[in-house]
Amino acid sequence: MIEFLANWLAFTPVFAVPLLLATLGLIVNERAGVINLGAEGMMLCGALAGVACYIEFGESTAVGMTAAAFAGLLIAFLFAFVVVVLRADQVVTGITIVFFGAGLTGLIGLRWNDTAIAGFQKLDLGFLSQIPFFGKVVFAQDAMVYLTVPIAFGVWYFLFRTRAGLNLRAVGENPQAADAAGIAVDFYRFWAVAAGGALCGLAGGYLALAAAKIWVNEMTHGRGWIAIALVIFARWMPGRAVFGAILFGGIEALIPRIFAAGWPVPQYFLQMTPFLATLGVLVWVGLAGKRRSAAPGALGLPYVREDRW
Amino acid sequence: MKIRTLFAGAAAAAAVLAMGAAGTAEAQFKLKGDPRVAFVYFASKNDGGWTQAIDEARIRTEKALGWKIPYAERVPEKASAIRPVVERFISRGFNVINGSAFGYSDTFLELSKEYPDIAFVNPAGITNGPNLQSYYGRTYESQYLCGMVAGAMTKSNKLGFVAAHPLGLVTWTVNAYAMGAQAVNPKATVNVVYTGSWNDPVKERATALALIERGVDVIGQHVDTPAVQVAAQEKGVWGTGHHRDMREFAPKATLCSSVWVWDRFLIPLYKQIASGSWKTKPYGEFVGLGHGGTDIACCNEIVPKAVVDKVMAARQRIVDGWHVYTGPIVDNKGKEVVAAGKTPSDADLWGMKYLVKGVIGQL
Repeated sequence: MIEFLANWLAFTPVFAVPLLLATLGLIVNERAGVINLGAEGMMLCGALAGVACYIEFGESTAVGMTAAAFAGLLIAFLFAFVVVVLRADQVVTGITIVFFGAGLTGLIGLRWNDTAIAGFQKLDLGFLSQIPFFGKVVFAQDAMVYLTVPIAFGVWYFLFRTRAGLNLRAVGENPQAADAAGIAVDFYRFWAVAAGGALCGLAGGYLALAAAKIWVNEMTHGRGWIAIALVIFARWMPGRAVFGAILFGGIEALIPRIFAAGWPVPQYFLQMTPFLATLGVLVWVGLAGKRRSAAPGALGLPYVREDRW
Repeated sequence: MKIRTLFAGAAAAAAVLAMGAAGTAEAQFKLKGDPRVAFVYFASKNDGGWTQAIDEARIRTEKALGWKIPYAERVPEKASAIRPVVERFISRGFNVINGSAFGYSDTFLELSKEYPDIAFVNPAGITNGPNLQSYYGRTYESQYLCGMVAGAMTKSNKLGFVAAHPLGLVTWTVNAYAMGAQAVNPKATVNVVYTGSWNDPVKERATALALIERGVDVIGQHVDTPAVQVAAQEKGVWGTGHHRDMREFAPKATLCSSVWVWDRFLIPLYKQIASGSWKTKPYGEFVGLGHGGTDIACCNEIVPKAVVDKVMAARQRIVDGWHVYTGPIVDNKGKEVVAAGKTPSDADLWGMKYLVKGVIGQL
């Protein structure tokens, strides 16, 4: 039983890290008032770029992850141009980005399709990795798992402890007031979208280089959408996002283990648990009865100076 | 995503086959002129699985018959996409159109009525007519043989199987795998895990690793990606593949694979069409090992010759007409599902809703 628990918890980060990276990216987006439903497409671009550059440039995970972030960034520039500069509808554009990402990666990904890669390897931290239970769970993960901790902290610190973060949140809460206070609304929104895209790209890259170790068309399989729900679960707070990602990652890591252990659980029920949990979270957030919604005030609304809404 | 619809429909074929009692007569078809074949693929020709196997059959057919067989790839499973491609082939003089997907069924039926002089054939389809034939392979035969290899090679007597959806056409491979393993190793059990997806490498890898943690040392699969084989190789255990010879991805781990060999079915079919002796069957062709369709790619050199000989002997028995699902067969709850000496009908196979003795898992 202890071994089952250790194996399960040790495997959780593989699912939790991509969810967390994407959720953090979407929090940055939404805190600036831009709702990004294109996460799935950005993750796909990150995943393909990660695998392709890993294979073509010396099998380095660092190169792969950098490329993944850049791919997410490029798609995010496109998204930002359309929704921030041209002020198009964010929901429609976001969904378009999902199909665009799937189509684009399907088209240019043929060359790297079904090529197995070594990808991220678990680190051996000497005696730390040897500690019973905790060694396996905490001290024998791959480098990106450890790197995700400062990334999550950095996002929180930026949003809640820096002047730029305050400005960004002001833009998302009330762009008129922010504009009147001399904050460049479009500038903040544009770069918030760009940063969010880079994080979604990283999430896709990790999915391909660590969780799947292969590139296959449309391999994100709805994980971008779960990240979008996790943003609501986290009430737009990076700390809660960590908790939510571990919870959802834990469920995903548990499902195959329950089957492999041969426990008689109906498989349709287990397969739907992540989505059931998502629904439960939304109900819980609704019933928690916070006086006002935690959502940024101007979420999803294009900002046009002198325009009232 | 597409492959899911492709096979989900094959389950619907169960319903069609079940209606077989009505029995329409076989229809004769005469082609005008020499056969000129063209293929239409719903996915890319190097998707690493189903479509790539069809494309490889197309290339082998070209070589064997000395024909030039063109193809169109990435034609989505909707009439507005299929129709212009097929009609362009027809206007260029092609008179045998080969599809690739369940999702082509309805459009092919409409086209076959509009173009009665053109022959249409479609793998994994469910529609048939005087000039339209759907076909699928008896994958349980090749997976039975893979199960034998797995049963002979396992040291822990624990086999795993990563499956997509609990449909008849997946479940029959799981059960056949277990029966093959038990034929050579009565102690072998098969732990089946359904991922709920045809091609999610993240879930497939996680499932393979979870099975290996439980002491499983050979993993079979009926999902599309090679993620299971790659994980097996990484962890120093073995696997058996599906769709194509997966030694390409995991040369050390993959012992054998259940593969599609459509050319062995299609070449005689094209010859029949050419000679005017082609008769379509009202409920489609369900092609067994003896007539092409599916076979075992056997074996990795680590498999001892004695095992290979045994597997090949069983293969010959299947070719000679032995049914893998010959009773008595008992399910994993102890209930007899096929009586001694009996074999299930094709409709029973498509609607299979039990796991046999020695399979650990839930439908």
